[in-house]
Amino acid sequence: MSMECVVQGIIETQHVEALEILLQGLCGVQRERLRVHELCFKSGPNLGVVSSEVRLLCDLDQPEPTWTVKHVGGPMRGAGADQISVMVRTMIESKVSKNALRMFYALGYKLDHELLKVGFAFHFQRTAHISVSVSSVNKMPKVHAVDEAVPVTPGMQIVDVTAPATPENYSEVAAAVSSFCEFLAP
Amino acid sequence: MPVKWLLHWQPNQGSTFSSQILNEVTQSIESLNGVKEGTWKATLNYYKPMLQDQANQAEFPREFVGISLLEEPDKYYFVIRSQRIVVEADSSIQMIMESLQSYKCKLSFYFEGLEYQLGDFRLRVGKVVPTHAETIRGVVMEVEYLPISSMGMAKKLMEEFLEIWQEAMSKRSLPGKFVNKELNFEKFGLGDNYTPQHTAVGYAFFMANLMAAIQAGRG
Repeated sequence: MSMECVVQGIIETQHVEALEILLQGLCGVQRERLRVHELCFKSGPNLGVVSSEVRLLCDLDQPEPTWTVKHVGGPMRGAGADQISVMVRTMIESKVSKNALRMFYALGYKLDHELLKVGFAFHFQRTAHISVSVSSVNKMPKVHAVDEAVPVTPGMQIVDVTAPATPENYSEVAAAVSSFCEFLAP
Repeated sequence: MPVKWLLHWQPNQGSTFSSQILNEVTQSIESLNGVKEGTWKATLNYYKPMLQDQANQAEFPREFVGISLLEEPDKYYFVIRSQRIVVEADSSIQMIMESLQSYKCKLSFYFEGLEYQLGDFRLRVGKVVPTHAETIRGVVMEVEYLPISSMGMAKKLMEEFLEIWQEAMSKRSLPGKFVNKELNFEKFGLGDNYTPQHTAVGYAFFMANLMAAIQAGRG
């Protein structure tokens, strides 16, 4: 089973540049551009005993857009989860060819909402493989109209800190993510 | 990737499939000095939608298959023939499908058998077996022409090979013959350069033909 540890925060756009410099120093790697079209699908009303959600991510920063399917579970619950400040959840992803979008429509999934995330990310190793991204979240006035996307909250951006984990190591990974986030706290 | 043809066993009118055909095929290959290289296996899974109301079944694809191929152990392929869709994914997509619980695998088939090298050709012959039973439902033959990836360029050579093969098989007085059913890969967005996605589409059509033949045999 695949899992991920996640911390999310928000930052005012005016502070993004300073955060980038801080991250550059902390991570010790080159930043990468981020331009991802995220399509969130929900199963149609009749499909499945329970409703299901799946995300399609299209990386627009590549010369040829590349697609990934991602399924995210709910956060861990219970006494163990309460001890951890980082959200831990199941996460499975798979690279897919470009027809995946048509396929999910054909299977009876409906587009629930879509976003364009534009910003930058750092990927580095510190006990765990950690990714930090800072991005503005943009919505589209028309379906799939990526070029016409506008920020949902113009003055704010999202900070995502994630790291993949397994049932065997999620405690260590969560601790690594948590300890990294302490540097970002202010 | 080399061009591959999937040959279908076309039984003579009124004849039924016998597992003896498989033995005759392997003997034919060996009589042509084919060199046995090992075994091979592929899997095809039929998925059905889990519906709260069966009355709306027509809204969903009647045939949605998932295929795993020996030559791409980390990949999985989906084909929806009615909509001309083929998708290549990492094999983790199977875990995603299980987690979604919207579609479940209801029926699976193995294709398994022997692989031979015959000059510039690689031949695979295998039985088609449902995973829940031992009955052989058919035989499949893959013919790969190793030097060429362009289907257009390989066509004449493949046709010539098929003629030689059909002639070799005809000497064994079997109740049928192998045929190639040409597919319009363009409709699936696939080009002239052969890829595993072509193979996935090929297997989806192969099974559709086999299932239709089985149904016709029952009727």
